[in-house]
This record gives sequence, structure tokens and C-alpha cells, in this order.
Amino acid sequence: MNMQATIADIMAVEMSHHLKNGEVAIMGAYSAIPMMACRLAQLTHAPDLTFIAGGSGAVNPKLRPLVASSCDWKLNTAESVLSLSDVIDLEARPEIDVFFAGGLQIDKFGNCNLVCVGDWANPKLRGPGTVGLPFLSRAGRCVIYTNSHNKRLFVDKVDFMSGPGFLDGVSYGRRKPIGAGPSLVVTPLCTFGFGKERTMKLRTLHPGIALQQVIENTGFALTPPATLPQTPMPSGEELELLVKIDPAGIARNSIR
Amino acid sequence: MSLERAKKLMTSGEAVERFVNSGCMLGVGGMHAHNNPMALIREVVRRGVRVGTLVTSPSANVNADLLIGAGLVDEIYCSYVGFEHLGLAPNFRTAVEQKRIKVREGDEAAVVYGLRAGMSSLPFIALPKGLELADTAKVNTHDFGTTTDPFTGQTVLCLRPIKPDVSFIHCQKADSHGNGIFEGSKFTDVDMAKASDKVILQVEEIVSDDYIEKNASRVAIPAMLVDAVVHAPFGCHPTSSHSYYRYDEPHLLEYLKACKDGFDSYLQKYVRGPKSHEEYITVVGEHTLANLKEAH
Repeated sequence: MNMQATIADIMAVEMSHHLKNGEVAIMGAYSAIPMMACRLAQLTHAPDLTFIAGGSGAVNPKLRPLVASSCDWKLNTAESVLSLSDVIDLEARPEIDVFFAGGLQIDKFGNCNLVCVGDWANPKLRGPGTVGLPFLSRAGRCVIYTNSHNKRLFVDKVDFMSGPGFLDGVSYGRRKPIGAGPSLVVTPLCTFGFGKERTMKLRTLHPGIALQQVIENTGFALTPPATLPQTPMPSGEELELLVKIDPAGIARNSIR
Repeated sequence: MSLERAKKLMTSGEAVERFVNSGCMLGVGGMHAHNNPMALIREVVRRGVRVGTLVTSPSANVNADLLIGAGLVDEIYCSYVGFEHLGLAPNFRTAVEQKRIKVREGDEAAVVYGLRAGMSSLPFIALPKGLELADTAKVNTHDFGTTTDPFTGQTVLCLRPIKPDVSFIHCQKADSHGNGIFEGSKFTDVDMAKASDKVILQVEEIVSDDYIEKNASRVAIPAMLVDAVVHAPFGCHPTSSHSYYRYDEPHLLEYLKACKDGFDSYLQKYVRGPKSHEEYITVVGEHTLANLKEAH
């Protein structure tokens, strides 16, 4: 097979490597790339990974093939299908190891906002809403992903706290948090981890992406290390599996 | 003397006329572009019934956006209104930005735990630690409050119960008494039915009493909760009905385009023009609908 890896493939592989065998992961709406990452992990290094596909309540959907909507009936080709009430019970228990999250604003402490740009009572832009993101506070750790990378999205401070990350950094420790907070951020340009001050630190650059491009498109100051590794390309096996999971390119071609 | 059991079968018009009062709290089921009770929602628009408070599942779609676009919603209690991979909900977005609708800001916890309190007649429900870190409770002091845990003395975040006056729920099969079966995901629909004073059940297929007897363990909504059963094949269009048909993506894109320019003509063509669900089906076209059927 002669195939070219897409940006979404690189992102999915990076997320997949972050998942450990035996863990439980969950994602919400608009999560085709995280779903693809979870299935890839199951088919490679993590056969006992469990994932819950958003509002459908489907546990371990087989994705034959991947679909765009997180509540699609086709996801119910799975191991079990839970009601939302059951899903909430799991989110409240210490069951969820990895929570995939995103936002219309994401700040340097890994807080996510899906509600509004500007003041809540007087919004410049009204977003869809918070949905399950407050449960980030109870998850083992959180992986933030986004289909675009610009200064409107990566901001110094979110205008509304939907999904708590490291809050303002300082008060996070005092709050005696339940989970470990955000651990990885995957964008179409790069990946971030978190440093000692609980702020985002550049971790890898995707192939062909210049450091300057990331700096110019990020709304908070970055202090990149002297050498920055490249995000790994999918292996031949991984790429073949991704094409098999998503033959129509719903996730694979979702980033332009 | 043996009497015949009451049948609750009626048209969407009769059901909305009887059970949906102006200014009521209306619950609508379905999640994202799936299982939205659209035949009933179009009937509300056709009749111009004002909704005092609209409460939705954790992820509302065209069910909420259409009612808002028709200018019929005073207040919404929701955690998400959007079109997932297809984009933002234009009528919801504009109405909030222009302050034409009041938002009782919620999140998934607010809806699910609120319904849980509503369906169990709990005076309020205390929430797990951590959820107070989001801003939701800060901007919605109507539904969120705090109290002292009598066992630990700690302050806990609490929610007001959700108890809709009437809810629209779509499931795939029911008998004429309202014993309902979901042939796919249930989302929060069973909880919403249990929390509501009245329930109008919209279904794809009416099944016999005998069918229900043989499938009693699969009945998720018992008839005692249901006040009206509306037979509406393709009644979720343009959203999906799990295992029966897919969502109609071209129609949803047409809707989203119309929201930006020409929403009145959309309403005229698809909602106010057709006098019944059957006429709506004719306007959309049986060929279009047949192509959406799920393969089994």
C-alpha cells in the first residue's frame, strides 16, 4: 500500500502511544480522532484498553468503520451500550483514567472553555456549552486535542471555565485535586506537556512545522527548549490500521 | 363486565393540543443528531405554542435550535446546543448573543443529576467533589446552590431537581398504551420520561400487545408514565432514529445555511407549510427518506 500519513494520523498515533494497556478512556462530542487513537491502541499495544464513545454510551465500539457523530447507532456495534446516567456514574467513580477534552478556548494551564468568548452575560461569541468537561476534575488525567491551532484558541486565560485543568497553577495544589490534571496536548502543529509551574511546555513539533509557526499561533509566551524532537510519524503497521479503521477519511482527512 | 384498556394513540396535533400549555417547562429527548422528537417539535412551531423553559438532554441539536429559531423559547436550561462536526447552532448562538433568550447554564452533571433528583422526588441532589471547579454554578445560582454535608460538615455543591411539565421522547417501538422499546441508545430519555409530569411518546412503529408481552424485559418506558403515543415514521428527520435511519446530513446543512439567510422560508417549506407530519414526509420526499434507512 502506498499511503501518505495525514496530520490527523500523526495526532492519533501520538494519543495512542499515551494510552496504557488496561486503562479506561472516555471522550465526548466531535471526537473522531481520539476514537481512532483508542481503537489503534487496542489493535497494537493495549488490547485491554477500554473506551467509552461519548454520548452513545457505547463501550469499546469496533469502529467498522469509524463514523463522524459521537452518538451514531453504528457505534453500538460494541461490547455494551450504557445510558448517560450510567456513564455519569462511571465518570464520578475513580474509573476513568484518561478523559479526552477540547474547547473553543484552551489556556496555558490546560483549562478548557466551550461556553463563550468574552463575558458570559455579554458574549462576543456564544459556543455550544460545557457538556461533560467539569468531570475532567475527577479523571485520572486529561488529554487535550484540537483540530486547529491559533491565537484565538490558545489563550492566556479562558473566558469561562468549562473543563478545569491546572486552574491558575498555584491554587491547584491547595485544592487537593482528585486526578493528575492535563498530561498531553495534541494540536495540528505540535504536542505540549506540562512543566513544574503547571503551564504548557512544547514537547514535539510535527514533521514540517517550524517553531516560529507555533510561537506565532499561540496566544501565550512559550519558552521552548534548545532542542525539540519531532513528533513521530506513524509506522507502516500503524498507518495500515488507521486506514482500515477510517477508510472514508472522516477523521484522517478532518484537518486541512 | 370487562372494560377495554385505554389506548393513547393520537396525532401529533392532538397530543400537543392536549398536553403542551403555553409557558410550560418542556423537556425534549434525543442526543446530538439522533432520536430528536422532531414531528412533535414541528407541531409546536406550527401551533406557535410558547415554551417557558426548554430543557434538553446533555447535547441538544436541531430540536432546540428550531424552536429557538421560531422565536418560541423564553428560557433554555441546557449543557450543549450544537451540530457537532457540522458546526455551531446558529439560532441558539444568535439568540444568546442578542439576548433574546435567557440561558440557565448547565453541564452534563446538571442535566443528568438534575433529572435523577426530579425522577426520584429528591428535594435536591448533592454533587461529587470537583464539579465546583467549573464556572457553571457561578453563572447559574437558580439551579446550583451549596449546603453543609450533615455527615462531614463540608460544603457541597447541590442542584435543584429538573421536573418538566411535559416531555417529548422518541423511541423506536411502543404499543398503543405507551410501553416503549429503544432499539439503540437510550441517552437520558428514560430519566427524562420519569422526571416529567406528562410524557408524549413519539415512535417509529406501533407494535401489538402480544409483541410487548414477548419483549417485556426490553421495555424501557412503562406505559404508566406515558400520556400520549404518536405514531410518526421518520418522525426524527432530519436527525436519526437509531437502527431505523441515519441523520440526513444534506438536510442539516440546508438547515444551517437557511439559519444564516432565509430561515423564514425554511420554516414555511418544512414546518408551517405542511399541515401534518404526513405532509412533511411528502415535502421531504419518500425517495430521500428511503435512502437514509440503516442496513441490517
